[in-house]
Amino acid sequence: MKSRTAWQWDPVRGEYQAGQPAPAQGTGEISAVSAFADKTVLLLGGTGFVGKVLLALVLDRFPELKHLVVQVRRKKTMSGEQRFYSDILQSPPLRPTVARVGGENVVRRKVQIVEGDLDQPLCGISPRDIDMLKGKVDIVVNLAGVVDFDPPVNESFETNVYGTQHVIELVRLLNARLVHVSTSYVAGKKNGLVREDVPIEGYFPMRDMQDGRQFSVEKELEWYQRFIAERRNNGSTNSRNTREHLRKAGMDRAESWGWTNTYTYTKSMGEQLIAGTPGLTCAIVRPAIVESSLRFPFAGWNEGFTTSAPLVLMGGQGVKGWPVRDGPLEIIPVDLAAAGILIVTAAVLCGKNKPVYHLASADTNPIALPRLVAFLGMNARYKHKRKRSGNRLANLLKAYVETKVITIKSLQTRRARLHRGLDVIHAMLTLGKTVLGPGKVDPYIKSLRDKRRQIRQQEITVDKFLPFMFHNSFIFETRNIREAAGMLTNEDLKRLQWDPETIDWADYWVNIHTKGIEKWIRPAFPVKG
Amino acid sequence: MNKAAFYDLDGTLLSCNLVTEYAYYARNDRSLTKSVYQLAKVVLWVPLFLGLDLCSRRLFNTFLFAGYRGMHRDRLIGLADDLFEVTLKPSIFPKAQALINTTRDLGYRNVLVTGTLDFTIRPIALHFGFEEVICNRLEFRNHIANGHFLPPLVAENEKARRIREYAREENIDLAESCAFSDSSADVPMLSAVGYPVATNPTRRLRRVALQKNWPILELRETSSNFPPFLRAAKAL
Repeated sequence: MKSRTAWQWDPVRGEYQAGQPAPAQGTGEISAVSAFADKTVLLLGGTGFVGKVLLALVLDRFPELKHLVVQVRRKKTMSGEQRFYSDILQSPPLRPTVARVGGENVVRRKVQIVEGDLDQPLCGISPRDIDMLKGKVDIVVNLAGVVDFDPPVNESFETNVYGTQHVIELVRLLNARLVHVSTSYVAGKKNGLVREDVPIEGYFPMRDMQDGRQFSVEKELEWYQRFIAERRNNGSTNSRNTREHLRKAGMDRAESWGWTNTYTYTKSMGEQLIAGTPGLTCAIVRPAIVESSLRFPFAGWNEGFTTSAPLVLMGGQGVKGWPVRDGPLEIIPVDLAAAGILIVTAAVLCGKNKPVYHLASADTNPIALPRLVAFLGMNARYKHKRKRSGNRLANLLKAYVETKVITIKSLQTRRARLHRGLDVIHAMLTLGKTVLGPGKVDPYIKSLRDKRRQIRQQEITVDKFLPFMFHNSFIFETRNIREAAGMLTNEDLKRLQWDPETIDWADYWVNIHTKGIEKWIRPAFPVKG
Repeated sequence: MNKAAFYDLDGTLLSCNLVTEYAYYARNDRSLTKSVYQLAKVVLWVPLFLGLDLCSRRLFNTFLFAGYRGMHRDRLIGLADDLFEVTLKPSIFPKAQALINTTRDLGYRNVLVTGTLDFTIRPIALHFGFEEVICNRLEFRNHIANGHFLPPLVAENEKARRIREYAREENIDLAESCAFSDSSADVPMLSAVGYPVATNPTRRLRRVALQKNWPILELRETSSNFPPFLRAAKAL
């Protein structure tokens, strides 16, 4: 639906401006069209959320593309190539693009699949494929990584640290350049503007405290090897306990240096390995929280359960108190993130790159967290007014009780009160069980147990997001990507847009992101209640 | 050249109007007390709105949009889907969708030309499948409505002017285009096209339609027939 108007929404000023914006003009120092027409790109991690959109964007916007090699991990009985054509190309973001560019045959002419696994030396690419890629690949774009906030420490280390070592080996062997995708949150527990020119090697978030500690990846790898060896010697046979122990070890280690979680800690180490490799032509791209697509391949595409999806779904369930500070949430739609990575790739190919690029929105167009809380509340109202299951009075209360910003203290008080209430109900049910017998009461006890588990899960999710919502207030500087976009040709700028300053956050959050999560995430991760 | 079907909304495709839409936002303010206050204001103003609508649509819009003063744009956007489901969708006339589908099938580009506000329009336009929308917008300062609208106000003669402008830009043949409205305030809009249709007309518009020999269509009645130019074209 197009709305014809002479007015343009200015999201920063919060008012309409007369007239249409002038088309973006570039200096032409970087030409993405000619970069992609002449060069071969090897894409690692092209099967993830950002990877698929990036793949679709390249195929859709750059018909001149010479050659793209995509590394795909095999899955049990399915080869990498089979997986790519039957699974990845059929996914919602790629299917319409493949149809638009002329079908699978066109893709087959331009794209080559190699099997591999980042956890293996040389990214698990076979010697035969390595020989074939030598002298052919101009640039490696690495999007692979474990993006869970607190996975078992070994999973994160194997992919985000050792995996990056394998990527470096591969890039050196192929004599190629590198674009490595990390995260803005490698900054750790910081507040205020996070600059792009902070030295990478030896970085740790608590460095400013000057407590005499020095951070080095080598020492962290030694710690990790020691820790894993100890685990092997004293390992529990209970796999659940082991997993929890490994998860906690990663989080404790990350927090001891000032990182928010294992993900950001290991990603920072990956960056430090790259920065410490002499002679490597590379750029590190750091997206903020990557969310639903703004425009491409269509508005609202989302995948996975690792961005703000859990919070949006919890908001829809009727969570009424959100502990957030009055600062921005650093989010970037996935299509802008993909466009940013392509702009950086073109910059590296043209030799015009900077070492680090933040892909974020708050330094040009911040969205304050209390506004997002209000959106969660309105979504809860919409859903609970229409909810046909559950208690009608509870639904009505969830619909009309206003969702609020609360303090941490208030959150803790609410939690304590809730658990006390659940304890009382449990005690009454147990008493009822002795009086009435188990047959009548057991279903209620089971239902209470489920409810308690669900509440606990919600609490864990909120706690995971607290560093981003409450404890810290980040604004990531994005000067470098704005400069790179300004260096593109005018033809490139018609194909790649870097314009987070134009995002109408209300429209994006209500009409695109929330609906995208409801459509693409909820069915894949049904939440009870 | 292309042809287009221009539709008014309130009273034409659904029975709601700008006042019911405003009343919804008023009664769904942030707190119960604010909601009660806003709703009381609407109730007191209803006779004024009715009187103004009889005098001048422009004056009516100006006063009505002033009521939005102080409302946050996020809230107006966030509640639009609920407004649509609660108030607007149940008031859609039985044959409205069929008419829109017919004009689309016959090759008309469906365009909504309405005095309704942009945030309210979105779910309606998506529901009906309108390709383009010409509507009103409120003026905001730091995301808060200041009670003014962005000029020019889409009403009366301005609707006809916007249609002509649209036709020029999109290479639309207005002589082959049609327009649907219920109100005498839209006579200029109806007169701008070759095939005007008085749709669920008010008494005043019915008189004009009879004088000008325009077809009259009742979307409220499932048994009513579409005007001959749509039926004939469909038969072909």
